[in-house]
Amino acid sequence: MSARLGAEPKVTGRAKYAVDHNFPGMVYGYVVLSTVANGVLEAMDVAAAKSAPGVVAVYTPFDSLGLTTTSSPMMGQTWVPLLNRDVDYRGQPIGVVVAETFEQARDASALVAVTYREKPARTSFEEGLPSAEDAPENRGNPPEISVLAPGVESIEDALAASPVVVEATYRTASQNHAAMEPHSAVAVWADGALTVYSGNQGSDMQAVELAGALKLPESAVHAVNPYVGGAFGGKGRTSAPAFLAAGAARVLGRPVKCSLTREQVFTATANRPATVQKVALGANESGTLFAVRHDSWSSTPMDRSFVEPTSHGTSREWYATQNLAISQKMVPLNIPLTTFMRAPGEAPGSFALESAMDELAVALKMDPIELRRRNSSIAPPGIDLQWSSKHLDECYSIGAQRFGWANRSPNGRVDGDWLVGMGTATAMFPALLFPATVEITLNADETAVVSTSGADPGTGLLTVLSAIGSESLDLPPERITPRLGDSRYPSGGLSGGSTATASAGAAIMVAAAGAIDALLALASAPGAPFEGQEVTYADGHVHGADGTASFGELLRAVGRESLSVTGSSGPGEERTKHSFSSFGAQFCEVRVHRLTGEARVSRLLGVFDAGRIINDKLARSQLSGGMIWGVSAALHEGLEIEPDGRLANADLASYLVPVNADIPDIEVQFVEYPDTFNNAVGARGIGEIGVVGVAAAIANAIYNATGVRVRHIPITIEDLLVD
Amino acid sequence: MRPFELTAPSTVEDALGSAGTFLAGGTTLVDLMKLDVLTPQRVLDINELPLRGIDAADGLRFGALERMADIATHPGVYPAISKALLLSASQQLRNMASIGGNLMQRTRCSYFRDVTMPCNRRVPGSGCPAIEGANRMHAVLGTSETCVATHASDVAVALVALDAEVVLTSAVGVRTVALNDFYRVPGSTPEVENDLRDGELITEVHVPRLDWAANSTYVKVRDRQSYEFALCSAAVALDVQDGRVVDARVAAGGVATVPWRLTAVEAALRGAPATEAAFANAAAVAAEGARPLSANGFKPLLLKRTIVRALLELTEGKRR
Repeated sequence: MSARLGAEPKVTGRAKYAVDHNFPGMVYGYVVLSTVANGVLEAMDVAAAKSAPGVVAVYTPFDSLGLTTTSSPMMGQTWVPLLNRDVDYRGQPIGVVVAETFEQARDASALVAVTYREKPARTSFEEGLPSAEDAPENRGNPPEISVLAPGVESIEDALAASPVVVEATYRTASQNHAAMEPHSAVAVWADGALTVYSGNQGSDMQAVELAGALKLPESAVHAVNPYVGGAFGGKGRTSAPAFLAAGAARVLGRPVKCSLTREQVFTATANRPATVQKVALGANESGTLFAVRHDSWSSTPMDRSFVEPTSHGTSREWYATQNLAISQKMVPLNIPLTTFMRAPGEAPGSFALESAMDELAVALKMDPIELRRRNSSIAPPGIDLQWSSKHLDECYSIGAQRFGWANRSPNGRVDGDWLVGMGTATAMFPALLFPATVEITLNADETAVVSTSGADPGTGLLTVLSAIGSESLDLPPERITPRLGDSRYPSGGLSGGSTATASAGAAIMVAAAGAIDALLALASAPGAPFEGQEVTYADGHVHGADGTASFGELLRAVGRESLSVTGSSGPGEERTKHSFSSFGAQFCEVRVHRLTGEARVSRLLGVFDAGRIINDKLARSQLSGGMIWGVSAALHEGLEIEPDGRLANADLASYLVPVNADIPDIEVQFVEYPDTFNNAVGARGIGEIGVVGVAAAIANAIYNATGVRVRHIPITIEDLLVD
Repeated sequence: MRPFELTAPSTVEDALGSAGTFLAGGTTLVDLMKLDVLTPQRVLDINELPLRGIDAADGLRFGALERMADIATHPGVYPAISKALLLSASQQLRNMASIGGNLMQRTRCSYFRDVTMPCNRRVPGSGCPAIEGANRMHAVLGTSETCVATHASDVAVALVALDAEVVLTSAVGVRTVALNDFYRVPGSTPEVENDLRDGELITEVHVPRLDWAANSTYVKVRDRQSYEFALCSAAVALDVQDGRVVDARVAAGGVATVPWRLTAVEAALRGAPATEAAFANAAAVAAEGARPLSANGFKPLLLKRTIVRALLELTEGKRR
């Protein structure tokens, strides 16, 4: 299995991330943030800052950069800084100080005197629940959906008719992506055109958003992000530093570098919302679900730009049930923006649904795996489209065997001072496709280039381009040059939604077929070496009646340096024939200290049905990384918002993510069934499903170990400290 | 970070004769300078001063510039001290941080570290948002109406338990102060954190000889398994003979505004059987006078449990 391309420059420090780009005459921007959660900027006195050493300029809504609103087809409208004087949350970008050095800009920023007309801030999610609003549509689905069996009047009737009912409320914390690379950009203007270096999940999307904000034709913006230091949904949209650097570079005529500090990342980007979820499950005595009700509330910023779709992301599709009712509401608050974060909806949604399934198994005195088996669906409730390829039961049987599930007792076991328990949970993540275009170039020097704009935010997409290019062109991978992360390449869409391998991979197959057709046409054309012959392509060669020629030889023979063909893919008719999802079974063993209540994850196993796996090593990294995220969500992570809108833990000292000592050996196994109904590559997404279900599996294991049911994450020591 | 003047005196006399803020490992000072919490005009890099050496011949003597990592791994160091050091921070930080600097580290209270917020410790009289705010990590013992910030050091807890002293040197002389007396609870003057006078420098740390301190340990309870401050910790030394406690030393961290010596628990342990029930009985007095805040009501119970766990470690062999 080939190693990750780009790994060597990353670990040796040679990889150039956005802020590693330096240019003569470059100046540095430092972003100024609001210190109130709700209000209007009455004045910003920048005189002292402007006269501070090295300061070149200060931009605020009162002396702005001339930016305007912008949007992209995939992400909709994106927030742009300095457009008006409204302050909607504490830590909102309200200015940028530009100076000859970063330190000068930072020191001068402290001299900006801001006068606010402050308004009362709404910051409490819990207090806002009674006045929650209906959420907007989610992928075309209304906020409330119900599917009822014939003769059933309401979900409440269905629950009342269920012999066994569990009902509980679950809570999940707001989170920050905390990617290693803070959001940052270097912007360079030359001859009326802009080049921006900024880590992002889709270089052409960034170019479109910047062109809109700067009122420029898209052709005048060139966005480059060859390396991205983690994104996880938090770099889908163009960041405030990128808009500010681009705008300042245009006004000043000098290259501008602008990076958020780690602390600023927590408020000046966007976070995962907090959620409250009420789940009720009704079943008969043999464990067959009769009613599923899942009502969700999500925090959202005042612009209501993103809601965490926990009911729609889980209960809508996961289990066979005759009666289903889901709803999604939102609570607008004066909090930092919210956005996609790895498995948006599915990750916090699965904590609620899969905890509730465990509670139902306890109520039924049934093995939790058996309960899930009995309710496995062949299609989402009320939808006629069957799953294209589903092997969840096999994930469970393999996992149970490998994990030693048969040794689990209903009340855990004791090992010295540690209470030990096992838990499990289902993982699902929809198999989506986004439109993607790939260009393949065959060169006369016997190499081929596979290029698409997109991005490799650490997922391994560059390696995937190489692998599928190699396979599709029947060439060894060392002769393939994959190129990504440049808006000048054909539009590769977004590295997001666990779609990039399937989407770009399918486009590569189309482009490769096109390139081979074009090569064969060239070979048999009048005057060409195989004129008038039947020709075929294999192993990098054209084969005709008179012999063979490599594609390089052929190109040279007809006087061509290269041959380029593009191919596109996207969701199509297959969406009308099947439902598509990846599946998995998560297994967890937890140890809880009987005196002091620390919960430690001692074993983790995930078995996944995610279609064809293109590169086993990279796929394992994706899945185990996702599972670590699950540990983090379950036991560590959570943004704490104070009444005045301040984040109480906006740094990596107090916003905890796991350290190596918190993570046991993680086992990942695939059941590999290529899903060619989904796309020609047979791949489904693997970037997000790893996190799904892990927090529930941990909470369920803690219950097994201790008898304590914790219905919120993160679970901390005080939850398990029983007097 | 604001511009400052940096000098590096090479003798203690030169250092004590200069005005400025002492820089040793820099693991607290540089952080706080980056956050604008500390804005010294002059910084004196004291790393060249001859304040080194670990001597375990009669009790323990550490030069104030000895690194945490070096003390932690020295074979003569009592286990409670060694474990407290090894459970502190990260290896990289322990390689940099000095023992003297460790004892001088400032609280990790997030309001103290955020200059946009009031803080009586940073700006006397400005107020304490932690009392009504995010106070899960804060103290329940030794608090006042002005400040509830937790003392962050692990090793200071072990040192207080073992009656350590600090040697303080200034241009006018040398004095020795028990570490337990060195720290000050906030009271009405939270900005005064310790007994160090202007121009004084910690030059040495001394732990008196206590043969049964070979049976000592440090238990640290926290939200992740490394690189995190204590929610609660306990340093314990125990002299057990024939199943009975002859003598004990107990101190707690993560729950108080200063490293918290628990002489009442020690007294309750003396003469008691070395059993979990007796330990729990003795630990019951540990949280006397505790004043929990809105988010740390679990700390009194956790304190008692942590002490019991530490005591059991010393009596029942190797518990994990």
